[in-house]
Amino acid sequence: MIETPVPAVILAMKPLAPDILFFSLQLDTGTVSSNFSFVPGQFLQISAAGAGEAPFSPVNLPGDDGVIELCIRKAGHVTAKLHTLQTGDYVHVRGPFGNGFPVKQMEGQDLFLLAGGLGIVPLHSLLSYLVMHRQRFGAITFMYGAKEPSALFLRQELQDMACTGNIKFMVTVEFAPEDETGKTSCNIGLLPDLLQGAIITAERSYAAVCGPPALYKCLVGELKTLGFKEERILLSLERRMKCGLGRCAHCAVGQDLCCIDGPVFPYSALKGIEGAL
Amino acid sequence: MAETFLTYNALGSFLVRLMQIGTLHGPTLNDLGVLSFNPVTSPDLLQLNYQRTLLPPKKYLLPPQSPILHYAPTEGYTPAKTPGDEILLFGLHPCDLAGIAYLDRVFLDDRPDPLYASRRERLVLVGISCESDEYCFCGDVGVCPTAAAVPFDLFLSRQDSGFRIRTGSRRGEEIISWAADIVGTAGAETRPAEAAETARRICHAVGKRRMFEGSTLWDDFAGRCLSCGACSLCCPTCYCVDVREYGAIDGQTGERVQEWDNCLFKAHGEIAGGINFRKTRQERFHYRFLHKYYGFGPLRDVISCVGCGRCRAVCPVGIDLLELFGEEPA
Repeated sequence: MIETPVPAVILAMKPLAPDILFFSLQLDTGTVSSNFSFVPGQFLQISAAGAGEAPFSPVNLPGDDGVIELCIRKAGHVTAKLHTLQTGDYVHVRGPFGNGFPVKQMEGQDLFLLAGGLGIVPLHSLLSYLVMHRQRFGAITFMYGAKEPSALFLRQELQDMACTGNIKFMVTVEFAPEDETGKTSCNIGLLPDLLQGAIITAERSYAAVCGPPALYKCLVGELKTLGFKEERILLSLERRMKCGLGRCAHCAVGQDLCCIDGPVFPYSALKGIEGAL
Repeated sequence: MAETFLTYNALGSFLVRLMQIGTLHGPTLNDLGVLSFNPVTSPDLLQLNYQRTLLPPKKYLLPPQSPILHYAPTEGYTPAKTPGDEILLFGLHPCDLAGIAYLDRVFLDDRPDPLYASRRERLVLVGISCESDEYCFCGDVGVCPTAAAVPFDLFLSRQDSGFRIRTGSRRGEEIISWAADIVGTAGAETRPAEAAETARRICHAVGKRRMFEGSTLWDDFAGRCLSCGACSLCCPTCYCVDVREYGAIDGQTGERVQEWDNCLFKAHGEIAGGINFRKTRQERFHYRFLHKYYGFGPLRDVISCVGCGRCRAVCPVGIDLLELFGEEPA
């Protein structure tokens, strides 16, 4: 784990939406090989000098090449500064932090990955891992919901992974502009609707969910109706992790700390905790 | 080392000796008449029959604002420099020592923080016994089996004619040896410590995992609370910090600073996009109650209320979370 922020150069940036930029960063390879290994679902602290630091989950599976890919929505002080940077500029990186998805525990099981909006990010990283180790897992279904077709990010990359990895890939949008309805090659409806038609053997399946808080409340109910045990519903939570080291107590969820005990929690650990979801 | 005895008459000479050994800090009145731990320029200024300072000694270990990293384009981020000389912190009540014990568990044992460790290392803790008032039950939460042992280098227990001095570290023994001409040998202890009723009640309720969900007091608290956060600012064990970065006026360098944060503030539970997991004051009280009496993170199930009474004494609208424990059958 990198404790003091180290520099990473911006290799490329591209807009995914008016307020969202895709960043490709390159860490010094010496740093990477010495103390950097990553589990999908973990997060990094990215610094914009002079503005501060914020937690992000990478889109990819940062490996030995030191390339880190991020999707960053302009939502505050730090992200606004990150949006002003250009290719060739430097950001600084600490981490990785948190537990990530329990990929060992998920081996041999059928997997349902459910992403809402920008919640696609850590699940894209998880999917990259699953495709890389495809034979270790059962059937994989990836369900992705967004407000409208233009808010479906990384769609081509996901489709490519789905093809190579024999993954069932389903997409839904809440609404499509009228003139485009004919062109929309996806379902119109909410994410839980997609689950209703799916064939699920809940006792040998895990569901991994990431999306806006409102999504968790409705999806958890739906998954339980389908027979998922509470410990098999994995939720990746968003909090303002300030230190990532369990010291600042800023990301507490009940008696747990999101940066140490999470950000991925089984629903069984969150049930009944006020303010968890 | 055998316990020693310091007569009230010899106290002044003892303090002068301490000032020769190092920088003495202790409870004094500042310019505004507020009692606080300050550098002591003359032993006469020390207020040793005090109830409580406004801020606990955590300010020496976790200053309200403290740089953690510096940024410069050529060096990138580098850790902030660690602080300087030894401070002899005199006149700490058992509750404040218990507060330090709690912070030590977090920042020395469970989540080692080099900056905390360097600040802690330079502190020599000299405790003093006290008498509780209507707000506190000082040190007595120690009756709970989960409470940590209280750390001190020297501890002065008030007796009829002076202080009985216990040493709790090598440094404490050194100090006593340098003051061997001032202190004498101790006789039998004359004032036994007592466990307070409030502490027993808290431990009893916490043992049964009482959350007082149905209590009408929550509405009452939330209705009155001004969200000023004084209760956590003054708490010896509240250590929530925010981390901010300030760019310098040169437009090139910057400083990353950690600053006290407060779970009573609305922004504490906020994430990007303005979503808030603790929108209401009532939710924030539940959160504070859970963390104070049931602990969290590595110190889950460790009570972090040390009974100093500051939160009760400073609340401008007289909110007292301990009233909840009044609902616990004795």
